[in-house]
Amino acid sequence: MQVGFIGLGLMGRPMALHLEKAGHTLHLWARRPASLAPFIDKAAAVNAKTHASPAEVAKHAEVVVVMVADAPDVEKVCLGENGLAAGGKAGLIVVDMSTINPNAARNIGLRLAQQGIDFVDAPVSGGEMGAINAALTIMVGGKASAFEKVRPLLEKMGKSVTLIGDSGAGQVAKACNQILTGVGVMAVAEAFNFAAKSGVDPAKVREALLGGFAYSKILENHGQRMLDRNFKPGFKAWMHQKDLRIIMEEAHRMGLMLPSAAATAQVFNAIVGSGMGENDSITALQLLEKMSTAE
Amino acid sequence: MNLGFIGVGAMGAPMAEHLLDAGHRLSVWSRRPESAAALVAQGASWCDSPAAVAGASEIVCTNVTGSADVEGLAGGLAAGFAPGGIHLDFSTIAPSAARRIAASYAARGVDFVDAPVSGGSAGARAATLAIMWGGKSALAPRLQPVFETLGKTVVHVGETGAGQVAKACNQMVMVAAIEAAAEAARLAAAAGIDFARVRTAMLGGSAGSRVLEVFGERMAAREFAAGVEARLHHKDYALLMDEAARIGAPLPVSAAVWQQLNALMAQGWGRQDTSALLRVLETGAGPAR
Repeated sequence: MQVGFIGLGLMGRPMALHLEKAGHTLHLWARRPASLAPFIDKAAAVNAKTHASPAEVAKHAEVVVVMVADAPDVEKVCLGENGLAAGGKAGLIVVDMSTINPNAARNIGLRLAQQGIDFVDAPVSGGEMGAINAALTIMVGGKASAFEKVRPLLEKMGKSVTLIGDSGAGQVAKACNQILTGVGVMAVAEAFNFAAKSGVDPAKVREALLGGFAYSKILENHGQRMLDRNFKPGFKAWMHQKDLRIIMEEAHRMGLMLPSAAATAQVFNAIVGSGMGENDSITALQLLEKMSTAE
Repeated sequence: MNLGFIGVGAMGAPMAEHLLDAGHRLSVWSRRPESAAALVAQGASWCDSPAAVAGASEIVCTNVTGSADVEGLAGGLAAGFAPGGIHLDFSTIAPSAARRIAASYAARGVDFVDAPVSGGSAGARAATLAIMWGGKSALAPRLQPVFETLGKTVVHVGETGAGQVAKACNQMVMVAAIEAAAEAARLAAAAGIDFARVRTAMLGGSAGSRVLEVFGERMAAREFAAGVEARLHHKDYALLMDEAARIGAPLPVSAAVWQQLNALMAQGWGRQDTSALLRVLETGAGPAR
């Protein structure tokens, strides 16, 4: 298949390479030409063609995957000057794997639909390691017919691929994922800090709790990394802050109370504000420790 | 002075009237001309566009709803201002939007001043507004005649955007106090005690405050008709929480209050007074006794 790919960063690069390895031809454009280097290196012999704009990519591709930072970037790639909409024929499918506001995703989808272009939101969970190992969890929103066409591509990048519902539903699922992981990391950090300040070994507490109803993957994996004092990302705290900001903005728009997520978002604000944003999200534990120790 | 005024709603109309009464020549434009009719009858000159208002004025005052409204108006005003003109904006908008607008004017030699106000439409009518402004301090002498006509407390907070930061702080402190009063009212009622008496007792002590006086009274009387429409406070919270996320400042209490406002909106009370935060607490706790 002729597959466009825009957004060749930490996540996007390995994802694109999985598609190429599966026998697809890549059509690429990048804001920074340097991102194209690993794909045009003669020695690597990657089956990829580069183009001057997203519109050109859209002209040559049946499906275009987008993996960029935020809603304004997705909007620019899709609907901006020389964007995908400017070059795409009716029947093109755009798969946006970025994490953006669900409402923004719906709006972009509606505007592309006016030109007969299908938009599928397919944000991922699993981080850089998940991208490299093709083990991502992919949550999809869009028309079932479009989903069936792109499913074989998504399965080359992810281990779990689920159609959640209509346009925007993938982003809603991702938002739910970020609420659970954000609040979950905070809960484990608070429990460990509570145990340590009470003079109890958090490692023993974790071990005991893993057998009970408080068991979770976060307690198991993130908890272990907290005990190892390994704050290397993983998933960077500033990205979690960005995601929580999107969620709180959407909750505001809907008039929906998210008291725990709101409190957690403030801790992530503090993490970013105190210069710890490049650490893994579990750095929340370090912030709690700082705030519970005499100067 | 030759002044312009755009945005003659519940706040803007009495403010514009005070400026006329003080002897200034006033040019006005409005999206809906009928809303400016009363001012025109009192002597203001009608203009056909924001650019025409700017062309006739040394200072153009605006008082509209959101960041996008002010940015839209600035686009029109820019075409009409002579160099040295001042756009004096009384709206509550994002500090970052204020800074963006100021930068867009800079090349034309036009100054932008963010001067949000506190005190509500009652304060606007009585000319007792608290005005907190951001912009070049050298502009103060030219702004003073306008400020002293409209407000009682006028503070130059700092550079462009600083007025909006001060307003964000104002909203944060005020609405958190309204929530605290509501929680006190809820606790008293749940304990079977008359909140009106609790309030009277508190007003004489260390917990006494303007919010407890005004909003507390509305809660005690269960008069939730606006006042200050809660949806406007809700809007302000989106601005200030977004600013907090942008700069990485934790605001744990504000975040909690924000969620109570979300719940208020969800229950359809956005056009009631913010004292309806009490009703949100009652939703989660059974009917008031």
